[in-house]
Amino acid sequence: MKNKIIMFWVIAAIAIVSIAVILLKPTKLGLDLVGGSRLVLEAQTTEQIREITPEVMGHLQFAIEQRVNKLGVAETVVQQVGDKRLLVEIPAVTDLKEAKAFLGETAQLEFKRPGPVVEGKRTWETTDLTGRDLNRAQLTTDASGQWVVSLEFNAEGAKKFATLTEELVGKEMAIFFDGIEQSSPRVNEAIYGGSAQISGGSSGFAYEEAQRMVDLLNAGALPVPAEIVEENTVGPTLGADSIAASKKAGIIGLGAVVIFMVLFYHVPGVIANVALLIYSLILFALFKAIPVTLTLAGIAGFILSIGMAVDANILIFEGTKEELRAGRNLFTAINSGFDRAFTSIFDSNMTTIITCVILYLLGTSVVKGFALTLALGVIVSMFTAITVTKNFMHLIFGTGELKHPGLFGLKKEEIGTSFQATETKREKARFGVLD
Amino acid sequence: MFDIGTKHKIQVVKHRWLWMILSAILLIPGIVALIYSSVTYENHVPLKVGIDYTGGTILQYGVVEKVVNSDLTAIREGLEKEGIENPYIQILNVNNDQQANTKSEIQSIISVRTKFIDKDSTDGDKISSVMNSKYNNPELMSVSSVGPTMGKELFKNSLIAMTLAFLGIVAYLSFRFRFDYALAAILGVFHDVLFVVGIFSILGLVYNVQIDGLFITAMLTVIGFSVHDTIVVFDRIRENLRYYSKKMTFGEIVDASVNQTLTRSINTSLTTLITLCALYFFGGVTTRDFVLAMILGIIIGTYSSIFFCSILVDFWNDKQNDKRKEVLSV
Repeated sequence: MKNKIIMFWVIAAIAIVSIAVILLKPTKLGLDLVGGSRLVLEAQTTEQIREITPEVMGHLQFAIEQRVNKLGVAETVVQQVGDKRLLVEIPAVTDLKEAKAFLGETAQLEFKRPGPVVEGKRTWETTDLTGRDLNRAQLTTDASGQWVVSLEFNAEGAKKFATLTEELVGKEMAIFFDGIEQSSPRVNEAIYGGSAQISGGSSGFAYEEAQRMVDLLNAGALPVPAEIVEENTVGPTLGADSIAASKKAGIIGLGAVVIFMVLFYHVPGVIANVALLIYSLILFALFKAIPVTLTLAGIAGFILSIGMAVDANILIFEGTKEELRAGRNLFTAINSGFDRAFTSIFDSNMTTIITCVILYLLGTSVVKGFALTLALGVIVSMFTAITVTKNFMHLIFGTGELKHPGLFGLKKEEIGTSFQATETKREKARFGVLD
Repeated sequence: MFDIGTKHKIQVVKHRWLWMILSAILLIPGIVALIYSSVTYENHVPLKVGIDYTGGTILQYGVVEKVVNSDLTAIREGLEKEGIENPYIQILNVNNDQQANTKSEIQSIISVRTKFIDKDSTDGDKISSVMNSKYNNPELMSVSSVGPTMGKELFKNSLIAMTLAFLGIVAYLSFRFRFDYALAAILGVFHDVLFVVGIFSILGLVYNVQIDGLFITAMLTVIGFSVHDTIVVFDRIRENLRYYSKKMTFGEIVDASVNQTLTRSINTSLTTLITLCALYFFGGVTTRDFVLAMILGIIIGTYSSIFFCSILVDFWNDKQNDKRKEVLSV
């Protein structure tokens, strides 16, 4: 009995720690609940880069991160998934269309020298001077008050730029941004200072256009183009509705289960409800401590795991009732009822965990969230079944004969009318059978 | 000593052909729908699949007006005039009580599904402008887009996940029980999955219900639950075999085990169904099909653990006994 009392305090301590964690730590809610955008970008091969190596992905991820940061939204995520994809999560973005265009732009800056005239058209030849040779870009105005993008090359770039301008004195040089010719100024003299300006050609730049180019240049070009292959965007209204609806469904569902348990199992039902409460506390504390991002699918996984947690209790009670019907005393009935239930609980939960592991490894992020919450729920439910339910049953009912069968929802005449399992000596010793 | 063979609520083994016929009756309409769909659908898939597996874009607009089904044609005509090919439009009516806690006054959600809108396409703007012209300030509530190659990959991954889950469960059950029990449990799972998939095939034909990534999740949960239920019964058969195998026939033990676990099976399913029904009626509209798949799966899973899997092990046992007798008589 002493062990049981120690266990009681251990359970109480776990519950208090869980409450503290729940109160102190914020809940991480998924984008489908708070609203936001989840994009999957896929790196595309080009003529120059025919294979997406881990190095290319590294560069791409860095460049995309820079751009996502420029959006000025908190808690963004850029993460590599698989060999050639990036997962980008942007909560609460105001203009998604603009953001998407911003992310997808390769921002390739190229300086080109004139090539031969083909069929009356000017052509341009690629040089080795590109956006990679930039130190930084800045938005300024020129003498006539037009918006221009001024470029500052790094040491390497300055050298290349000087060589190129030396070569092109008296000729034109074109500046391409993402394959589009921005301007083709005439080079009057070689430039050694390591800086240059891009003007918007004859029509000039609009402010937004120039600012955007500056942002993109500073964030760095993408080594390869990246295309959006998957998108999930949820507006804030839908997210709020989903939270409200899930809460309501959760409360009604749980409430109904609690009432059902008391009506059907009487006192043990109350114990099951306490176990369920402690179960929910531990699970929520775990969600916050790990932290697990709660999504709609995750909430579904949680609600399902409640079903399985209740099942563990039902199995134990049914087992105990059977033992009581066979005329066992309380202590023995609870122990052997629990033992007999536990193999079922363990085996069935193991299969659920196997499915969850497979889902977690292979599933998309939505499925992953579901698998994680369900697996955690199942593990915690086994723990609460072993500790909370069993201990509380012993503490409340104690030892001795069952004097009030009604406490278990049994009738007096049922006691001793059922079959009796014949245990081996070892099992008898374990269950504490004295006969 | 009391006899566990008396006072049974249901006779499983005695009427085993009856239960087999009942299973067949439950499964056949779905199977017919699956075959019919495979033949008639353009892509020869037995279910209506959503963008997760085919690629495409879904835009959802929330409107404050109550949208009725006759509006569908008008919206479709408007979209087609703008050059949107084969738009698929669905209306979800929002139950007002569901939103008691939020400020939004959205009455209906119109979801428009088209082919994949890539970054160079202006289809998204065109759809928005059509919606704007028909409704008062519609709110673009969600956008989901899956590229065509991505869809194929997701489909492949889902099938791999399903197969691995099956194999994992068989391996675990063979290890804990016996291979023939594992086989019976898996046939039970197959029975349950076929039933739910069949119902969704019918729903696809009648109400245009499409399956998405969440559907696979629901199926995997149903698999877990179905095995869960079956294990409880098998565990009891295993236990009873230990004590009564000399006094009772295998069939009697199966019957007794099913009856002993009956209350538990029903009560567990009931509590889970209570939470699921709460989710179905009060939860978000977007997860309703997902929850429906789980509700169907849990009901059929309970049925199959009682009336299907237990009979299978009994059949199996009979067959082995016949073989043994043959060997003896030779």
